Amino acid sequence: MNDLGVLLRPRLLSFKNGSASQTAGSRRIRYLLFTGMGLAFWVGAFLIFYRVLTYFQGVEEFGDILARKLLSMVLLTFFSLLLFSSTVTSLSKLYLSRDLMLVHSMPVSGGKIFLARWLESIVDSSWMVILFSLPVFLSYGIVYQAGPFFYMTAGMALLPLCVIASALSALAVVVAAVLLPAGRIRTVFVFFGLLMIIALILVFRLMRPERLVNPETFATLVLYLREMGAPGSPLLPITWALDSLNAALSGFKGEAIFHLALAWSCAAALSFVLIRIAGKIYSLGYTKAQTTVTRLFPLRAGLSGNRHRFFERFSGPAWAFAVKEFRIFFRDQTQWPQLFLIAALILIYLYNFSVLPLGHTAIQTIYLQNLFAFLNMGLAAFVLTAIAARFVYPAVSCEGDAFWIVRSAPLSLRAFLWVKFTVYFLPLLLLSEILIVSSNILLQVTPFMMVLSVVTVFLMVPGVVALGVGLGAAYPDFRSENPAQSVTSFGGLLFMLLAAGFIAVVIVLEAGPVYAVLMAGFRGRSLSGLQLVWLVVSFTLVLVLCILAVILPMRFGERRLAG
Amino acid sequence: MIALTNLTKRYGRLVAVDRLNIAVAKGEIFGFIGPNGAGKTTTIRMMAGVLNPTEGAVLIGGVAMASDPVAAKRVIGFIPDRPFLYEKLTGMEFMRFSADLYGVGNGIFQKKAEGLLIQFSLYDWADQLIEAYSHGMKQRLVIASALLHDPRVIIVDEPMVGLDPAGIRMVKDLLRELAGKGTTIFMSTHTLEIAEDLCDRIGIIHRGRLVALGTTGDLRGTARLIEGDLEEVFLRLTGKETP
Repeated sequence: MNDLGVLLRPRLLSFKNGSASQTAGSRRIRYLLFTGMGLAFWVGAFLIFYRVLTYFQGVEEFGDILARKLLSMVLLTFFSLLLFSSTVTSLSKLYLSRDLMLVHSMPVSGGKIFLARWLESIVDSSWMVILFSLPVFLSYGIVYQAGPFFYMTAGMALLPLCVIASALSALAVVVAAVLLPAGRIRTVFVFFGLLMIIALILVFRLMRPERLVNPETFATLVLYLREMGAPGSPLLPITWALDSLNAALSGFKGEAIFHLALAWSCAAALSFVLIRIAGKIYSLGYTKAQTTVTRLFPLRAGLSGNRHRFFERFSGPAWAFAVKEFRIFFRDQTQWPQLFLIAALILIYLYNFSVLPLGHTAIQTIYLQNLFAFLNMGLAAFVLTAIAARFVYPAVSCEGDAFWIVRSAPLSLRAFLWVKFTVYFLPLLLLSEILIVSSNILLQVTPFMMVLSVVTVFLMVPGVVALGVGLGAAYPDFRSENPAQSVTSFGGLLFMLLAAGFIAVVIVLEAGPVYAVLMAGFRGRSLSGLQLVWLVVSFTLVLVLCILAVILPMRFGERRLAG
Repeated sequence: MIALTNLTKRYGRLVAVDRLNIAVAKGEIFGFIGPNGAGKTTTIRMMAGVLNPTEGAVLIGGVAMASDPVAAKRVIGFIPDRPFLYEKLTGMEFMRFSADLYGVGNGIFQKKAEGLLIQFSLYDWADQLIEAYSHGMKQRLVIASALLHDPRVIIVDEPMVGLDPAGIRMVKDLLRELAGKGTTIFMSTHTLEIAEDLCDRIGIIHRGRLVALGTTGDLRGTARLIEGDLEEVFLRLTGKETP
């Protein structure tokens, strides 16, 4: 037990000393930003669930079934997130952390090292899911007027779910580390985790919630709702958690405690099995993981310094960095699953447009099509922001410890940042335009809306990419073991806030004049003089804003990086 | 060829390097020694343009690092103390990357890169990803890539760390040969035998200040020692003498 405490102490001390490396001012700003964003998300989630549950309560007969089905979907989502998060966290904690070499050289058994790391992994992979599940349970408690027993049950049901998810993930990781070829562990598990997320998204998407607004499918929906009322498998941890929560909501304390006991006993048994197995094989797997990474696809034969004759005409520092950027991006096997995930998300995005119930609403179709097309510009830009947050924002941090090469190279930081900008701008522009054009074709929008969307996205993409590169340069994290995670840092959140604000302002500036143009078109009238002035001023402001969104963050990033 | 004028670096209230004044002539091998935390690496990083000084100036071949960093860096071959590289590139690709950075033409690149890789016993590994290299191999690759553009100035931080005895011998011979051809070398090291063996002049830095500068004989005088090697001089001047 003493060894375990010693092994966990550096983590606790690092947490305690973490803020000491920041100035009081920056610490305050960071706390405010994180708290503000967390609170906004928390309140938002609470309001949405509260609204939905209140609505369900008004639906005769099916209201309760819907609410409980929603709860089971929420628990399924939480459990899937926990499984995914635990897999990635335990893999990193158990096999990839930089301090493992030091820890394994200490006179402590492999089993104890495993236990300490696993405990850290449970906390790291669960805290956020627990925190953001609270508004959901709070809304259920308030809508169903549940007492303190329900809230206690919610807490007591979530904890074993976290332990079970973490134990299952750690068990899979520990066993795989022994069975898989050395050096393959990381790639395979990131694939596994992300495939799970894609599967989850597809399953939710294929439920086709849009059918709810289509009265023609109601005959089958009645059957569907009856099916939804059926209990889940009694062998699944989610069922125990769901049953205990349902029982607590209905006031059946004994039943709730029984299901909680099932969940806790499973968590305890799994922990016991995991610790016994890991005690035997963890050290073996760790040794295997130290072997050099083997590639899924070998490099082509021949000295790769040779270049095709076409490329020989290009040279110079900027070219050197651009080539380096492409090579590293595509050789990093951990990037591939992320690309698959993006492809899956885009397919779902486009599929959503193809199933929009445009013909089944009372609102004029052409109006709705153009409204969706307009909102689609913002939505596509938000998708772009999410992708930029994953790939563009960490681009500077990805230089890592090799950043000395950039600093000592005969290339200005400005040129270096513009290389980064160019490398990410072109593919993201292409992606955004494909997204907007295909969704507009599915929506069958007017030529005016098509041109407007294409031009607006063309103007917004450089701004979002520059915000990513600039803020990534202003708040780099060269020491991170996984720079992709830097998006959850202060700078990453600032990037997302500013990018979202930038997109929102552009859309708001365009909304008024575009509405005037559309309405004038529908009514067969021409625009008035005032409307024309409004149109010109708004679009000029959009242009100025888009230019500033490129220049200012790039300058800010350069100045901070040089400092 | 190298001139440091009142070079100062402060981190908040801590003065890491305090008004350093050093001039190194063309073809000279200058050794820079000092205890841990004395300010050696900070000085070297400022000279290489990796860190900006708080005050003072770095002149490389008459070009001020502050006003024209790109031109100043073009004549430098920088070898850091820890060989952090782009792990997903192969050795040869990293050489190509360095060649493009420093404007080594396509015509001469292949022959030159292969020659250096053979010299540093890396040719058989040239098409392997750097992540598969050992620490010593990475260190050798950094040195090889730093020599690719025939730098007029070599700034090197702890050049022998991670090298095997054969590697150390090879690097020592190479540095001597380069200095003989007019390359200026500024080298920080903890290995006093190497400094004594290789350097024309030595500067001792302690708590950010230059406490002694000159040949080993000059330093002995500064330390008021009639005889004794560089180690004794160093311990005396840095106050680390055992009683």
